[in-house]
Amino acid sequence: MIKTHVLIIGGGISGLSIAYNLAERGVKDLVVVEKSYIGSGSTGRCATGIRASFTSEEHVVLMKHSIELWKKYVKGELGKNGLYYDQSGYVWIASKEETVDMFKKLVELHNSLGVPTKMMDLDELKEKVPPINTNGVLAAMYDPTAGKSYPFDTLFAFYKALRSRGIRIEVHTPAKKLLVRNNKVIGAETSKGTIEADVVVVAAGSMTRDLLKPLGINIPIDNVPRHVMVTEAYKPAFGPLVVDWDTPGAPYIIQTKEGNFYIGRDIEEEPELSLYSQRIDYMPTALKPLIRFFPWLENIRVLRYWIGYYVTTPDHHPIYGPIEGFDNLYIATGYSGHGYMMGPITGKVIAEWILDGKPSIPQAMRLTLERFKKGELIKELAVIG
Amino acid sequence: MGGEVKKNENVTIVCRCRDVTLDDVIRAIEEYEITDLETLKRKLGLGMGPCQGRTCIPIVIRILARKVKKSPNELMIPRIRAPIIPVQINLLLKSIDLKKQEKG
Repeated sequence: MIKTHVLIIGGGISGLSIAYNLAERGVKDLVVVEKSYIGSGSTGRCATGIRASFTSEEHVVLMKHSIELWKKYVKGELGKNGLYYDQSGYVWIASKEETVDMFKKLVELHNSLGVPTKMMDLDELKEKVPPINTNGVLAAMYDPTAGKSYPFDTLFAFYKALRSRGIRIEVHTPAKKLLVRNNKVIGAETSKGTIEADVVVVAAGSMTRDLLKPLGINIPIDNVPRHVMVTEAYKPAFGPLVVDWDTPGAPYIIQTKEGNFYIGRDIEEEPELSLYSQRIDYMPTALKPLIRFFPWLENIRVLRYWIGYYVTTPDHHPIYGPIEGFDNLYIATGYSGHGYMMGPITGKVIAEWILDGKPSIPQAMRLTLERFKKGELIKELAVIG
Repeated sequence: MGGEVKKNENVTIVCRCRDVTLDDVIRAIEEYEITDLETLKRKLGLGMGPCQGRTCIPIVIRILARKVKKSPNELMIPRIRAPIIPVQINLLLKSIDLKKQEKG
């Protein structure tokens, strides 16, 4: 049997970031367990984008803080370990008048919360994305604070930082069930035996739902399959992630540091479908609308395509914090497609919840599981991505 | 992904798509305590280039097996993903048009 102060279940961006934040604040006695390899869940399957240009106050404020942390991390130990943040922006393309109006309202919202998004005319768009065909485009919204980084560079940077402090990270170690005594969570049963802990954090994507179910706790999340493909590497074409907002499923394209393009589009999917239920129609469906903007795409080659889950909540916001009725238990899950970019802020607020009793960012307080019971779902101006 | 290869340096290239050397592989396994190919693939970009691992994966299986003292058969190979070989986008686009014709 292993005894530890804090047990973290989940070795994705959230689990490692929570561990790192706790370690930075002096908690050294902690263990992370991961059921497969580091980043094997949704973190490693994401399309690498990071942005604050959301449509709810909660998301905008939390992501603004998250981006500040990404930039801080780059300058320190994690940056030395390979973590980077390429602040190359996000571009949202509008082809309809009503979208232009909506973007203008969003810019007002973002600006009021300290995120300096702005509207761009076609000349400015051409400047940011030179190889774009602007036929039919009316305007664009630009988020200069947004950017990208490679999830595994981030994960390995956290891994190295944690291991250098002697923190145990047990990979290929699934947690089977939580151990409870008198409404206190006292540890977990894992494939490597019992781990007793004073504090248990479950940051295990949809496994969080499965682990809490036997406690009579319902976590309202669905695994919604999302598809993304990657092309061969080409010379740098443009920096920002470009989203075609007015095509259903909002197709997007982003070029990585190595030169590969990631291309994605939301298509109708049934929750809980296998990660390996690849669809032959997906690639052309996602690619076709983007050819209008980037005709040269026709000549480049797709290397592979994969599916990842958006671990999705009813209001598309994460579920953070303690669980009412159970002491010493905290969760972080349900990012609905934004868990990678939120990783740094997730680590900070969950560490604060554990050590200080509450997070320093008031907007995080609204994201507990309680909101579903009280009917206080987070409202969004518009649902994007 | 791989380390920088200097001219005339005596190095063994393991992945020709992304210039990953034998040294890079050994160092990654040791530094990150890697015991599986899925992790090694993502640390170094192995199998993520145009050949999709045809050259490097069989070599890396042997290196990793020796390091973790397992038989190569015990190591799961990374998942193989569509479209298996790189396919030009205009061909992928034609594939849906063809489908429509079949239906029409």
